[in-house]
Amino acid sequence: MSKTPHGGTGLDYFALVEEARRLPGAALDRTVRLAVVAEFSTPHLLPLLRALAARAGVLLEIYQADYDSIEAEILDASSGLHAFAPRYVAVLPAAEKLKTRFYRAENRQDFAAQMVARFTWLWAAMNSGVTIIQGNFVQPSERAFGHFELKVPESMGAVVAAVNAGLAAAARAANNVLLCDVDHIAAEIGRASWADEALWSLAKLPCRLDHLPLLAQAVVGIVLAAEGRMIKCLALDLDNTLWGGVIGDDGLAGIALGEFDEGEAFVAFQHFLKDLKNRGIILAVVSKNDMANARLPFQKHPHMVLREDDVAVFIANWDNKADNLRRLQATLNIGFDAIAFIDDNPFERDLVRQFLPDVVVPELPEDPALYIRALNAAHLFETASYSQADRERPKQYRVEAQRELAKVAFTNIEDYLASLGMKIAVERFTPFQVPRIVQLMQRSNQFNLTTQRLGAGAVAALMHDAKCLPLTVTLSDKFGDYGLISVVILRLSEAEIEIESYLMSCRVLKRGVEDFVMNEIFTLAAARGAKRVVGRYLKTAKNAMVENFYQNFGFQKDYEWSNGDSTWSLAPAAYAPRPVFMADSRVTF
Amino acid sequence: MQQDEILARLTEIFRKTFDDDRLTVTHDMTAADVEAWDSLSHINLILAVERAFEIRLTTREVRAMKNVGDFVGLIAKKAA
Repeated sequence: MSKTPHGGTGLDYFALVEEARRLPGAALDRTVRLAVVAEFSTPHLLPLLRALAARAGVLLEIYQADYDSIEAEILDASSGLHAFAPRYVAVLPAAEKLKTRFYRAENRQDFAAQMVARFTWLWAAMNSGVTIIQGNFVQPSERAFGHFELKVPESMGAVVAAVNAGLAAAARAANNVLLCDVDHIAAEIGRASWADEALWSLAKLPCRLDHLPLLAQAVVGIVLAAEGRMIKCLALDLDNTLWGGVIGDDGLAGIALGEFDEGEAFVAFQHFLKDLKNRGIILAVVSKNDMANARLPFQKHPHMVLREDDVAVFIANWDNKADNLRRLQATLNIGFDAIAFIDDNPFERDLVRQFLPDVVVPELPEDPALYIRALNAAHLFETASYSQADRERPKQYRVEAQRELAKVAFTNIEDYLASLGMKIAVERFTPFQVPRIVQLMQRSNQFNLTTQRLGAGAVAALMHDAKCLPLTVTLSDKFGDYGLISVVILRLSEAEIEIESYLMSCRVLKRGVEDFVMNEIFTLAAARGAKRVVGRYLKTAKNAMVENFYQNFGFQKDYEWSNGDSTWSLAPAAYAPRPVFMADSRVTF
Repeated sequence: MQQDEILARLTEIFRKTFDDDRLTVTHDMTAADVEAWDSLSHINLILAVERAFEIRLTTREVRAMKNVGDFVGLIAKKAA
C-alpha cells in the first residue's frame, strides 16, 4: 500500500472499509482532530476518512456528530463538538435537505441569501483557530423549467447555483474557511450517477455508496494540504512528455508540438503545467538528454509554452532518473513526497517507484491528449492557501540555483556569505503578513522545532497577546528577494523566554539566518533580565534536521521523553553570540 | 440461479462484510443472529449483494426483507 495520499489510487469502497479495519494506529506519525457535522448520515464516511488519512501517515481522530445536528453542535458552546476541540470541522450539507427547505419556503427570492447567511453565521460561531471545511450543494438533476430554469431566479436550479456561488464568495472573505466542492465531484462522476435516491430514503446517505470514497478523499486531501502535505514540485520528463518525438533524434523541426496532430495535445498540456507553475508549483526537468539538446526547444521552438525561466531546476544527463530526482530533492530541500514525477515511459516510472517509493508517480496514458485528464485524476493539486508568495516561489527557486553556482567561486563559506549582500528584517507579525505566516506554518516540515500549525484566526490572535512576541524574518540578497522565510513565536514571562514555535523555510538554510535570530533572542533575554531561554524539540517523521538545533547553540538538555521529544534551556550569560554576515539588518519589536 | 449457489455466494459476502470467516448463512438467519449486522453494515451488505449479483434492489424490497431466505428469493428472482 502506498504511504502517500496521492500514490494510492485505490478508491474502492469495500477495499477502504477493509483497510480501515486493519489500521495500524501507533505507526502513524501525526494526529489530526477532525469533527464531521453533516445533514446526511456519516457513519459510512468515517472509516473511509481514516483509511485515506492513514495512507498519508496521519491518524485522524474524528468527532462524529449526530445525524443532521449542524446547528446544535456548532451554536451550543457546551456541545460535544466544542468539547472535542477539533482542529478542523467539516460542515457537509445535503441537497435533499435544501430541497425540503426550498419547497417549504414562503419567499424564494431571499432563499439563497438566507442559506448562505445560515452558514456564515455558523462559521462565526466557531473559534477562529478552527479551520472549517465547508461543503457545497450538488445541483439536483430535476428541472421544473427544463432549460428555461436558469432564466428564472427563484427556480431551484438557479437558487442552488446562487447558494454555491454565495458560499464561495463568503469563504473567500473568511480567513478560516476552506471549500469542499462536492458539486464538482458529483459533476465529474455525472450527477445522475452520483445520486442514489433510494439510499437517501433508506439510510440518509448523500450519494451512491460506491462514490462515497471520492467525498472522503476530497475532505482528507484538503486536511492534508492544510497540514502541509501537498505536492510542491513537478519533475518533468521531456521527450514524449512535453513534446512528441525525441529532440536528440528528430531535431527542433521534427518534434510534434504545435497546431496539428499530437502537437496540439502537448501544447495544451504545457498550458496546464504553466498554470500550475503560476499558482506556485515548482517545475523541474529531469530528462535523459544532452543538456544542449534538451534546452533547445525551450529556447527556440515557436510553439513551446514553457520557457527556460519557467523551470526552476533543469537536469539533463544520462544518469538514471532516481539519482537525478535525489539531486533535485537535495537542491530544492523539500520532501520526496512533495515531488510528483511525470514521465510517459513506464520503465522510468517503475524505476522511480522502486527506488524512491515516497515520490508520487501518476500513471500516464499512451495518448498525450489524455495527459491533462490523467494528471488531474491523480488529485495532486490540493492547496489550503494562495498568496503572492505562491506566484513568486518558482522564480525564487530558480534564483536559488544561480546562488548555488555563485558559491563555487568562493573557497570559504564566510567570504561567500559576506558577498551575498544579505538584508534581514526581524519584526512583530503585521496584519498583511498573516496569509504568508499561515502558509509557512502549513508548509514547513523539516526546519520546524514544534510543528505548530496555526490558522489565520489564531495567528491574528497572537498579535494582540501581550505575553507573546510573534516574529517574522524576511531576507533578501543581491540575487533576489526571499520574502518572509521564518516564523519565531516567543512566549515571555519574567523569569524566562520560551521559544514556542521556530520554523524556517529550507530555502535559506546555511545563510546564518538562525544565528542572527538566536543572537537577537538572547539580546532580548539579557535586556529583560530573563534567567533563561527555553526551547522544545517535538520529534516528527520529518524534522530530524533540527534534532540538534538547541544543542548546537549550547543549550542544556533538561529532559528527553521516550518518543524523542526534548526540552532545552540556556542562561543569557552562557550564550556565545554567533558571527553574522548580514550587510544590513532591521530589528523592530 | 440455484438457491444453493446463491446461499454459497452470500456466505462469502457475509463473511467479508461482517469480517467473520466462520459465518455460514442459512435461510432463517436474521440480523439478530449476527453480532456485526447493524443498520450501518446492512447498507454495506446491500451494496455488496447488488455488486456481486449485478442487480439493484428497490427501497420497498430492502425494507420488506425479514431474513436471509427473503434475500435469496429476491436475488433468485432479479438475477434470473
